[in-house]
Amino acid sequence: MIGTLIYGLTIGGILYIISIGLSLTFGSMRIVNFAHGMIYTTGAYILITALPLIRNNFFLGLLIAILVVIPISFIIEKFIVRRLYGESIDYAIIATYAVLLIGVDLVKWIWGTSPIPLSDPVGKSVTFLSIEVPVYRLIIIAVSLAICVGLWLFFKKTIVGKIVIAGLQDREAVRSLGISVDKYFSIVFVLGSCLAALGGVLYAPITTVHPYMGFHILLISFAVVIVGGLGSLKGTTISAFVLGMVMAITGRFWGPAAEAMVFAVMAVVLIFKPIEV
Amino acid sequence: MTTKIRDSGALGVILIALGFILLGSATSIHRTTDFIIFCIFVLGFDLLYGHMGRLSFGHMLFFGSGAYAAGLLVRYTTTNPLVAILVGICGGALVGAILGPVVVRATGACFALINLAFNQVGYFLALVAFAKFTGGEDGLSLTFSNIPFLNIANPKVFFGLTLFCLCLTYYFLKRLTSSPYGILLRAIRENETRAQFIGYNTYRYKWITFVLSSSISAFAGALATINYSYVNPSFIDPTRNVEVIFAALIGGAGNLYGAILGGVSYMLISNYLARYIPRWEMFLGLALLVLVFKFREGIWGNIISVWKSRTQTGG
Amino acid sequence: MLLAVNDLDVHYGHAKALHNINLHLFKGEVICMVGRNGAGKTTLLKTIAGFLKPSQGSILFDKKPIQGFVPEKVSLMGIRYVFQDKRVFSELTVRENIELAAYPTKEKVSDSIKRILNLYPRMDVLMDSKAKGLSGGQRQILLIGRALIGEPKLLLIDEPTEGLSAGIIEEILNVIVRMKGQLSMVIVEQNLSVVSRMADRVYIMKEGGIFKEINDRAVIEQSNALEAYL
Repeated sequence: MIGTLIYGLTIGGILYIISIGLSLTFGSMRIVNFAHGMIYTTGAYILITALPLIRNNFFLGLLIAILVVIPISFIIEKFIVRRLYGESIDYAIIATYAVLLIGVDLVKWIWGTSPIPLSDPVGKSVTFLSIEVPVYRLIIIAVSLAICVGLWLFFKKTIVGKIVIAGLQDREAVRSLGISVDKYFSIVFVLGSCLAALGGVLYAPITTVHPYMGFHILLISFAVVIVGGLGSLKGTTISAFVLGMVMAITGRFWGPAAEAMVFAVMAVVLIFKPIEV
Repeated sequence: MTTKIRDSGALGVILIALGFILLGSATSIHRTTDFIIFCIFVLGFDLLYGHMGRLSFGHMLFFGSGAYAAGLLVRYTTTNPLVAILVGICGGALVGAILGPVVVRATGACFALINLAFNQVGYFLALVAFAKFTGGEDGLSLTFSNIPFLNIANPKVFFGLTLFCLCLTYYFLKRLTSSPYGILLRAIRENETRAQFIGYNTYRYKWITFVLSSSISAFAGALATINYSYVNPSFIDPTRNVEVIFAALIGGAGNLYGAILGGVSYMLISNYLARYIPRWEMFLGLALLVLVFKFREGIWGNIISVWKSRTQTGG
Repeated sequence: MLLAVNDLDVHYGHAKALHNINLHLFKGEVICMVGRNGAGKTTLLKTIAGFLKPSQGSILFDKKPIQGFVPEKVSLMGIRYVFQDKRVFSELTVRENIELAAYPTKEKVSDSIKRILNLYPRMDVLMDSKAKGLSGGQRQILLIGRALIGEPKLLLIDEPTEGLSAGIIEEILNVIVRMKGQLSMVIVEQNLSVVSRMADRVYIMKEGGIFKEINDRAVIEQSNALEAYL
C-alpha cells in the first residue's frame, strides 16, 4: 500500500506540474489551452531525441527540452492565443485544439507512430518503510514540491507575481494603474508551457511515449483543474495530488479504470459543487 | 427593399431531398448515405452549439450511445432495424437526461471539457469495462432483419430511409427553432442572465435542448450502425469530435442549412481530398485555424452576407 | 483647458450608449456627472479612461487627442480611473496594493505610503493586512490613495460614496476636498448633498446625453435645486 501511496504522490506531482500551467492560463486569459498537451508531448520527444546525443545526460536533456519549448510557446501565444483573447472562448478552444492536432501529426511525421520506450534514468531503488521505492519517483515528488514552493515564492514575493495575482482577480484595475497586464500574462503562458514540457520530460520514463500522450494527459489535467476550481491555484494544487492518489489506488485494483475513476470523481464533485463559469 | 422568403420547412425538405438525390447519383449511393447520416449528427450537435451557444467537445458520446444501444439490442435480442433505431434514440436520450443536470450548469470551457471527460469515460466503458458485451476493440458485427416494405439490405432503400430520417430531423428542428422555443434558445445563447430575469427557467430549457441534441446524435449513431452492420469503439472515440465541430464551423453554425452544408463539406473533404493529402490531421488542424480566424460564419454564413449585400441597394 | 470632450458618441454593439457628449474641464476644477442609473455616466468615464472606444468624436487632454488610447497609456499620461464597487486587490495586502500602483511610476513606495497616511492616518495599522479585510470606506480611501500615486493630473472617480454610511462619506468628502487644487477631478456621484459640497460645476446626464450644464455655484449648493433637474 505504501508503494501505491508513493506512486500516487508521484502521479500527483506530475499532474500538478502540468495542470498548474493550464490553470494559470485559464485564470488569466480565460482560455482553455489544448496546445498545452502538444508542448507536453514535445518535451518528451525532444528529450528522447536529445539523450543519445548528449550521452544520456537526463538533466541536460530536460534543459534542452525546455529551451526548445520556450520559442514554440511564445509563437503560439503571440499568433493564436493573443488574437483570441477576449473573444468567445469556444474559438479559443477550437484553435488550440487545432494546434494540438497539428502538433500530433508533426510528431507522427518526424518520429513515427509507435511508442518509444524510455528507461528510468536513475534505475536505483531505495528501501523506504520496508518497501522498495524507485529513487526516480522520489525525485519527481521532490521536483514537484520544489516547483510548488518556487511558484509560491514567485507569487508572494516578486512584483511580477503580484501583478499576475492582481491581474487574475481584476484585469481592468491593473490596466488602470498603467501596467500592461497582458504582457505579464504572456510570460505566465510561457512559464506554464515550460512546466508542461518539464512534466512531459519527467513522466516520459514511467509512461508510454506516443504521439497521443498529450491528448491523454490533457484530459486528466482538465479534470484536475475543474475539480480544483478553474483559475484557483491552491485548488489545482490540492486536486492534483488527490486525483493522483485516486489514480494510483484505483490502478492497483483495476489498472485500466484508473483514468475513468478520475472522471467519475470529477462528475461527483460537479454534482455537489456545480460550476457556474 | 429586402425580400424575405417564407421558409416553412417544406421548402427546405424538398431542397435537401433533391440535393442528396443528385449527389447520390453523381457519386455513389453508399457514400451519400454516409454523408446523410453524418449530417444528422451535425444537426444534433449544432442545435447545442450554433443555436444555444454551447460547444460540446464530447458529442461522440451520444453518437456512440445510439450506435451501441442499437448494436447491443440487435446482438442480444431483436434484429428489427426500426426497433434498433428507436432504442438507439432512447439510449442517447437517456445518457443526455442523466448527464444533463451535471453538464448543463456549466458554460464555456467547463461545458466543453466536461462533455469531453464523459466521452472519455464512455469510450473506456465500451472498450474495456463492458468489453464482454460490446466486443471491446473489435466491436460487434451485426445482422439486421428485413421488415415488410423495407428491404434495408438494398442500398437504394436504405438511402431512401436515411434521407427520410434527415428530412424528418430537419423539419422537426426547423419547426423547433422557428418557434418561441427557438427564440428562447437564442436568448440563452446571447445573454442567459437576461433570459432568466425575464422569468424563464433557463436550466430546464437547457436540459431539454441537451437531451434533444443527444437524441438526434444517437439517432445518427444508430443509423450508422445499421449502415455498416457493425459497431466498434471508433463510434464513440473522443478524438473524432473534431469532425463534427469542423463540420459545424465550415457550414456555418446556428443554421440548419449550414449544418447540412457543413456535414457534406466535411465528408467530401475527408473522403476525396484525404486521398491526396498524406498528413490529414495536420491539414485538419490548419483548416480549423483558418476557419476560426478567417471564416467564422462558414459557407452558409457567407452566402447570407453576400445575399444581404446584393439585395440591399445603397441609399 | 485640461480636458475637452467633443461630440462624443459611444456604441455598445448597435446600441448608442452616449451621443453628442460635449464637456470641458479646467485645471483645478472638480466637475460632477449627475444622473439616474443608466444615464451613461460610467460609460463616459470608461471611455475617457480608454476602456471603451468612441465611435465618433474626440477627447483632448492637455490639448492632445487621447480617444482610442489603451487604458495603460491613458493612465501613464496622468489620468487615473477609480472604479465603482470599491474593487481593491483583495488577495494582496494594503502595502502590496500600493506597491503595485507605484510600480509603473517613478515614485518610491515609501512616498506613496506617506501620502496615503497623510490623507488617512488610520491606514497605518492596516498596512500589512489583506485588502479584503478593509471596510467599504477604507477601500475607497485606498483606491483614491492608489490613484494619486505618481501625481496624476486628472482623477476620474466613479461613485465614491455609494453604499457608505454618513460618517464615512464625511471622511471621503474631506479627502476629496483636501485634494482639490492639487489636481482636477471628474466625479460621478448620485448623492446630491455630496455633489453640492464638492462640485465646481455639474453636468446632468440623461439617457446617454448631456442634459444640462450648471455653472452657478448658488444652484449647486442647493441640492434640492439639482434634484429638480433629474
